[in-house]
Amino acid sequence: MSTLQLIGGGFATVLTPTGIFLMLVGVAVGIVFGALPGLSATMAIALFLPVTYAMTSSNAMTLLMALFIGAISGGLISAILLHIPGTPSSVATCFDGHPMVRKGQAAKALGVGVVFSFLGTIFSTVLLMFIAPQIARVAINFGNYEFFSIAIFSLTMIATLSSGNMVKGVMAGVIGFMFSTVGTDAIEGTARFTFGLTSLKGGFDMLAVMVGLFAVGEIIAAAETSRHSDEVVTQPSMKGIRGFGFTMKEFCSQGLNAVRSALIGMGIGILPGIGGGTSNMMAYTVAKNSDKHAKELGPLGTGRIDGVVASETANNATIGGAMVPLLTLGIPGDTTTAMLLGALTLHGLTPGPLLFQNQADIVYGIFAAMLIASVIMLFMEFFGLRVFVKLLSIPKYILLPCVFVLCVIGAYALKNNMSQVIACLIFGALGFAFKKLEIPSTPFILGFILGPLAEINYRRGMIKTKGSFMPFLTSPISAVFLAIAVIVLLLYITKPLRGKRKAAD
Amino acid sequence: MSFKKCRDLILGIVMLAFSVFYLVFSQQIKTRPKLTPAYASAQIMPKLLGILLAVLSVICIIQGIRRLKSADSEQEAENAAKGDKTAVLLTFAVIIGYVLAMNAAGFILSTVIYLFLQMLILAPADKRNYLLFAIVAVVFTAIVFVAFRIGLQQLLPRGVIESLLGF
Repeated sequence: MSTLQLIGGGFATVLTPTGIFLMLVGVAVGIVFGALPGLSATMAIALFLPVTYAMTSSNAMTLLMALFIGAISGGLISAILLHIPGTPSSVATCFDGHPMVRKGQAAKALGVGVVFSFLGTIFSTVLLMFIAPQIARVAINFGNYEFFSIAIFSLTMIATLSSGNMVKGVMAGVIGFMFSTVGTDAIEGTARFTFGLTSLKGGFDMLAVMVGLFAVGEIIAAAETSRHSDEVVTQPSMKGIRGFGFTMKEFCSQGLNAVRSALIGMGIGILPGIGGGTSNMMAYTVAKNSDKHAKELGPLGTGRIDGVVASETANNATIGGAMVPLLTLGIPGDTTTAMLLGALTLHGLTPGPLLFQNQADIVYGIFAAMLIASVIMLFMEFFGLRVFVKLLSIPKYILLPCVFVLCVIGAYALKNNMSQVIACLIFGALGFAFKKLEIPSTPFILGFILGPLAEINYRRGMIKTKGSFMPFLTSPISAVFLAIAVIVLLLYITKPLRGKRKAAD
Repeated sequence: MSFKKCRDLILGIVMLAFSVFYLVFSQQIKTRPKLTPAYASAQIMPKLLGILLAVLSVICIIQGIRRLKSADSEQEAENAAKGDKTAVLLTFAVIIGYVLAMNAAGFILSTVIYLFLQMLILAPADKRNYLLFAIVAVVFTAIVFVAFRIGLQQLLPRGVIESLLGF
C-alpha cells in the first residue's frame, strides 16, 4: 500500500461519528487538565485508561491522543491569564504571556498561543509521518544487541538529564529496574522476588505503578500545602477578547522563530528523558538570544509575542517528536508516552517496527487523530475559552479527592479486584517519599519499563554469542548508542571537576 | 537535627540496606544451569542491579556526610518550609480506610464518605462548607457510578446500596 493510501485509511478509521465524538471529549478534557495547575497530560491519560478498556484499540488511541494534545496546549491558558503554568510544558509561556496581559493584550497573547500551539502540533505530526516509517524500516533489522544498547542509552539519558542530581536520578532508575524484576522470569520461567505470593507472580502492573506514583503521590503531596495555601484563583477579565488578536504582519514576522522552535521541540521530543518541560524553556532561550528587535520592542520577557510563540510552538512540537521512539522502537521518552505505551500494551499492541508492518491502520489512525485533534483544539480553545477559564476556579480540595476516586476505579478495573488498588496505594506512598527525598520519579518509571527490555535483550544476546560481550560493541548501531551513553555519563561525572578547573583559572 | 539536613544520609543508609536485602534474595532465585549458562541466568541482572545500587548508596552517604559538615546546610534546613504533617497523616488514614472498606461497604457508600472526609481534610478551615462537600460527594459518586457501572459495564465493588439499587 502506498503512503497516501495509508494516510487516507488512517483518516477513514478516525473520522467516524464515535471517533469524532471521542476527539471532542478528549481535547476538551485535555485542555481542562492542562489548564489546571497540578493536573497533567500524564494524569489525564491515566484517568481515561479505564474508559478505553472496552473500546476498540483505534478508538482508544484516538481518545488518548486527543487528551495528550489538549493537555499540552491547555497549559497556556493558565500560564497567560494567571501567571501559573498549568503544566511544566508552559513555564516559558508565562514569561511574555503574562506581561502581555498586563499591557492589555490578553486577547493577542491567547490568540498567538493557541494558533502556534496548533501549528507546532501540525508541523511535528507531519514530520512524524515522514520520519517514523523510515526509522521503522531500519529498526525492523534491529536485534538483541541494538535493543539492549538503545534501552541502556535511553536509561542513561533519562537518569542524567531529568534531574539535577545525577546520583539520585540513576538511583531512581535502578530502583525502577529492580521493581521490574519481580515476577516470573521471562527466559528461565522461575519466580523472582515473589516471596511466595501468587499475586506477585505476574509482576507489578505498569499502569498501577504509574497511576500510584504520579496521581496518588501527587494527591498526598498536595495535602501538605492545601490547608494553608493562600492561592486565590482570581477570575481574569475576559472583556474585549475577540478574534485571534494579531495581524497578518505580526504572524509572518514570527516565521523563523516558529520554525526554529518547532524543530527544537521536535528534536527534544525524540531524545529520551527530556520532554515538553525542557523544550519550551530551550526554545525560549534560543529566541531570546537570537532576538534582533530587542532595541525597538524591548527585550523578551516584557510582553512580546515572540516569547509566547517560541514556548507554545516548541512544547506542542514535542508531542510529534516523542511519538517517534514510542511508535518505532517501543521506547517511551517521558511519563506521558510511558502511559501511552501502557495503553497500547493493554490493547494487545506492541509498539515497535513490527507495528508499522502488521498494524499500519492503527499507526496511521494515530497520525490522523493527532492532526484532527489539533484542529479541534484550535477551535475549542478559541470559542470555548470562557468555559475553561471558569473551570480554573474549582478549588484543589474538591478536585483532588475526585481525581483519586477515578484512580481507584482505574486500578480496580485492571483485574476487577482490589489487588491493583493496593499496589497503587503502595506506589503512591513511594511517590510521596520520593518527593520528600527529592528523588525524581520519571527515571523510576522508565527504569521499570525499559529495564525488562534491556535485561531480556542482554541475556538473549549473551546466549547467542555464548558469553561474549563483543558483538554488542561491534554492531555499529549498538556501538554508537553505547558510546553516547558512556560519553553522557562521563560528561556528567566530570562536570564538577571541570567547573573547579574553570574557577581556578 | 532536622530531617532535611540529614536527608541524603538517611536515604543512602536505607538504600544500602535495601540493596543488601535485594542481593540476598537474588542469590536465592532458582536458576537452570543446564538450560541457561550463568552469564544469562535469571540471577545475573538482579545481582548487577544490587551492586550498582549499593555503590550509589555509598556515594549518597558520602555526599550526605559532606552536607552535614558544611555550614550552609544549617541555613538550608531553617529555610525549609514546614509541611502540614497532620493533613498528610489524615489523608493516608482516609485513603487506607477507603480502600479497606470498599469491599465490604461497596463502592457507593465508601466513596461518598471518603470524598466528604477528604475534602474536609484538604480544605482550609475558613472554607469548610459541609453542605457543599456533601452535595459534591453524592453527585460525583452518582455520576461516576452511572458512567462506569451502567455506561461502560465496569464491575465495581458491591455493597448494601448497590444491592438495594439492584446492581
